[in-house]
Amino acid sequence: MTVSAMPSPTPAPPARPSLDAPPDPALAVETRALWKSYRNPWTMRVTRGIEDLDLGVRRGEVVGYLGPNGAGKTTTIKILTGLHKATRGRAWLLGGRVEEPRSRRQLGFLPEQPYFYDYLSGIEYLELAGRLSGLGAHEAGGRAKQWLGRVGLGQDPRRILRKYSKGMLQRLGLAAALVHEPELLILDEPMSGLDPFGRRDVRELILEQRERGTTVMFSSHILPDVEMLCDRVAIVLKGRLERMATVGELMRGSGQRIEFRCAGRSLAALPTELAAVLTRNERPDETVFTLADATRQQEALAWLVSQHVEVLAVTPQRASLEQLFMATAEGRGTGDPERDARSA
Amino acid sequence: MNAVWLIARNTYREATRDRVLLGMTIAGVVAMLGTQILQPLALGQGDRLTVDLGLTIISMLGLLAVLMVGTSLVAKEIERRTIFNLLSRPLPRPLYLVGKWAGLSAALWTVSGLLGLALCALLTVKGLGARTPAVLEAVYLAGLELSVVTAIAVMCSALSTPVLSALYTLGFYCVGQWSGDLRQFATGAPGALGTLLRVIADLVPNLPVFNMRTLAAGGFTTAPLHLGLASGYAVLYIGCVLALAAAAFESRDFK
Repeated sequence: MTVSAMPSPTPAPPARPSLDAPPDPALAVETRALWKSYRNPWTMRVTRGIEDLDLGVRRGEVVGYLGPNGAGKTTTIKILTGLHKATRGRAWLLGGRVEEPRSRRQLGFLPEQPYFYDYLSGIEYLELAGRLSGLGAHEAGGRAKQWLGRVGLGQDPRRILRKYSKGMLQRLGLAAALVHEPELLILDEPMSGLDPFGRRDVRELILEQRERGTTVMFSSHILPDVEMLCDRVAIVLKGRLERMATVGELMRGSGQRIEFRCAGRSLAALPTELAAVLTRNERPDETVFTLADATRQQEALAWLVSQHVEVLAVTPQRASLEQLFMATAEGRGTGDPERDARSA
Repeated sequence: MNAVWLIARNTYREATRDRVLLGMTIAGVVAMLGTQILQPLALGQGDRLTVDLGLTIISMLGLLAVLMVGTSLVAKEIERRTIFNLLSRPLPRPLYLVGKWAGLSAALWTVSGLLGLALCALLTVKGLGARTPAVLEAVYLAGLELSVVTAIAVMCSALSTPVLSALYTLGFYCVGQWSGDLRQFATGAPGALGTLLRVIADLVPNLPVFNMRTLAAGGFTTAPLHLGLASGYAVLYIGCVLALAAAAFESRDFK
């Protein structure tokens, strides 16, 4: 089942500020006309990672950064965290240019599939993370102990990291991102590879950070989590920012469907006037009619009654974020990410 | 400087918790004791042999440690992506490289120091305690040499794979050991070849400056001026190599 990609009902975007204009103080993350391309040194072929990306994440909000594999999510995150250099354009974190290391003083970052020094213990690693982010030795020690306990790893703080499981390492990575209590948290696929309990813990941590006023930007393929956690969602496709809106705004644009669950199998022929918007789905013990246009609910119901069909339930169906995302991606020809040869 | 200290301490911890250095230290002590077996073959030069081979063991094991640990120091961090956790913090990339160099250098100084002390102990047991000052000077110069080679290894490791880094570092070391011969050969070589050889001889580290094994074997100490000049040269060379490495590392993307 797909939902057609609707044009955004929002008005035309405001004029883009010039590259040299100072960053917007209301934004925790800002990019202007950001480009990243890679040149293969042997073939000299240029691959574009992101194109002309204008992104704004307001202070204190939780933003989901979505896109299929190869869309440019990780590239954007790596530029913001100083691991990649942008080819063109500007980016700021909390008002500081990303090229300046001090802009990362209030940044907490969890990379996708984080790797650690396996010769360190959990407490040693968190102390190192805290001190590198500017904490003093005493404070880093205290915070390391506190966060190790907070993510459920406090029973054995001297255990060497090579003895940690994957889920434990992911939780340690989150603790390392949070140990200095940053103002901005950037998480690359934080739920990837976690079991349902681990995902719940990460969700709770993100919600807790939102309560604290921390800005959170995270990429994820687990759309129900994004729908549950995010104030706004940014969808990036083929390196370009396709849409950025609240989950509610995205849903409003998608229209609403009505589902009529009816008893038994109904063989009644669909009326020509509703044929374009009404579909039938036969199941073993029931028939489900789906009406694509919610404004014609009464008309459809009247027809079902006239056909002596026993209507069991009438349920409004809202499109999920996943359906919206798929529709948007398919509309841009990126439905099959495997075919997309971009690197991310 | 705090960041350099943190990275250096972590690198030192990594190197010393790795069994490679511990194994090398034990192997070094065993080899020094083993040199005593060769005493009857030394034709009365047994004491000289003990010092010469002892100092050679320190230099060679140090070089082996640089090739095994140093050349993968940064490349391994990039490959395993542990570098993401460091450079996404307010840590300037040049300081990261300096910290890596300082940490491994400190670990190698520790190994050289321990082996140097073992050699001094052996000499004292053999009643050759008078040669200790010369041996300590030679160990100090060997430590400087290892720090220079470590800087080259860090530079190669920041820009290449571990295997290629090891080859490049070994190449620099070998050519550096023969830099005097190369310079002499350049004077007799025709035109462009002579110029090229002179440039190469000037660019590679002048490692014979750090070699006083023969002098120490005879029980002679070197002039304080030599020690001062060698120290100054090492600091200058390491500074240039790390600056070059930092410039290239600054624009690197981490996949």
